[in-house]
Amino acid sequence: MIKVENVSFSYGKKQVLKDISLEIKEGKITTILGQNGCGKSTLFNIMTKNLPLKHGKISIQGNDITKIKLREFSRLLATVHQYNIVPEALTVEELVAYGRLPYAHTKECYKNEEYINRAIEAAKLTEIRHELVSNLSGGQMQRVWIAMAIAQNTKILFLDEPTTYLDVHHQIELLRLIKRLQETYQLTVVMILHEINQAVHYSDEIIALKDGHVLYSGEPDGFTTTEMMKDVYGIELEIIKNNKHKHVVTV
Amino acid sequence: MHKKSKTIAAFAVVLIGLISFIVIACNVGSLKVSAVELFRGLFIEYDETVHTIYDLRFPRIFVAMLAGAALSVSGVLFQAVLRNPLADPTIIGVSSGASFVAVIMTACLPQMIFMVPLYAFIGGLASFALVFSLSYKGGLRPIRIILVGVAVSAVFNGLISGVSSIGGTTSSAANIVDANITMKTWSDVKLLSGYVLVGLVLAFASWYFCNLLALEDKTARSLGVNVTVVRIIVSLIAVLLASISTAVVGVISFVGLIVPHIARLIIGANHKVLLPFSAALGALLLVVADTIGRTIFAPFEISAAIIMSVLGGPLFIVLLRKNKQI
Repeated sequence: MIKVENVSFSYGKKQVLKDISLEIKEGKITTILGQNGCGKSTLFNIMTKNLPLKHGKISIQGNDITKIKLREFSRLLATVHQYNIVPEALTVEELVAYGRLPYAHTKECYKNEEYINRAIEAAKLTEIRHELVSNLSGGQMQRVWIAMAIAQNTKILFLDEPTTYLDVHHQIELLRLIKRLQETYQLTVVMILHEINQAVHYSDEIIALKDGHVLYSGEPDGFTTTEMMKDVYGIELEIIKNNKHKHVVTV
Repeated sequence: MHKKSKTIAAFAVVLIGLISFIVIACNVGSLKVSAVELFRGLFIEYDETVHTIYDLRFPRIFVAMLAGAALSVSGVLFQAVLRNPLADPTIIGVSSGASFVAVIMTACLPQMIFMVPLYAFIGGLASFALVFSLSYKGGLRPIRIILVGVAVSAVFNGLISGVSSIGGTTSSAANIVDANITMKTWSDVKLLSGYVLVGLVLAFASWYFCNLLALEDKTARSLGVNVTVVRIIVSLIAVLLASISTAVVGVISFVGLIVPHIARLIIGANHKVLLPFSAALGALLLVVADTIGRTIFAPFEISAAIIMSVLGGPLFIVLLRKNKQI
């Protein structure tokens, strides 16, 4: 679905991505893993058109993303960013309604109400839809941003470290929500996570980066080996097995 | 719908205040007229006292109202664009840039006085572009904009003082320098109202953009909005409003800073209501300031700009201390 071919990127003299090629499969959850500074955020930002693509090519269903206009792109791919300013005096419903902005003045407009309601229900925000976003807890707030992205009604959803500021209860709740949304709407989900076990458990595909190269790309099962942990994170981590699942002991 | 009734009540209170102060402002001075007489004289039959008041006092009341509204709305827009609660046309140097160019051009080409708003707009734009580019360093940090603005503004103010001390100013240029609302005529009202009304309509129409600018840039981008273009458009409207009012009444500080803050406390941060409410509140504030300036040491007059500095400073500090974000 999304094809990344020979992409390189530098901040000044520092080369962050070195000739990266990979493919994101349609209708799957793909998680990008790697150490801090491995280039995963840069790759994420290039793929979501937040950084310019200068070397290489990225295409979505065969269309070069540099040729897709920003507005059109926002009907194709929705992004939930890691850090969001919470605007004052906006209710949940009003914020989710921003997700319909890509369709302003189009024929799709008349369905706005329907998509907003659908997104609010899907993210379980019905009971708090009239509350101010600034009064919500971290977990609720993150669900509001996801609902906004769902209201965009795209086939592709990108999430940048969606669980970072949450406790384990809300992390799992959020990952389950993402999984459920992916199944309901047949979404192609790409996310960055730090927690290896959560990534392995909730993803269909894992991409691991190191120093601007792709170190691993494939099913989660092949990723959970002691050697791989050492290659990706540069540290010895034990792998344990229970009920056929493999877990990385991250202590 | 509790929120809606509160909004309507807030608007009603400000509008009643505005009307009351128009009547009060008409009665400051040797001529007196009651509200009923004023209404009769204006709309029903000719009355000599009312006619004199109409010619002498009405223009300055309207000038004060228009300038107050323009400055306040300009403040709201700058605060949205720069995502900075401390932004205001005087602090970030737009007003002094506008004033400087207006003063120079009026001194050089006194016969082209009707072009003053245009000069001021060019000056305001140049000053804003200067501040914007000087404070850009791989992004715009709010604090850097304020600091650069203070410096740019100081330079322009210095230049204005320099020009006026070498005696290069005509009386109309001196008016701009001294921020004077006295001696305004209906032609000033006409000059100001055309530009200000256009500016206000554009500003009110941009409410959705202003709300969007409260989001993280990246988030707005992923909704298909080109944030840079939105910033430029909203900035142009803000510069227009600030420059035009500066051209007619000179640099008046604190209006663009205090009014949006108070308005937000009363009515909330949604620009759909915040923009018109700030306009009304700003109009009221400047009429009040001008009326106080005329009465407090009558027959001597203190300009509204001085009243605003003296009252605005402490008021702003109170607001700052109450605000948890800054």
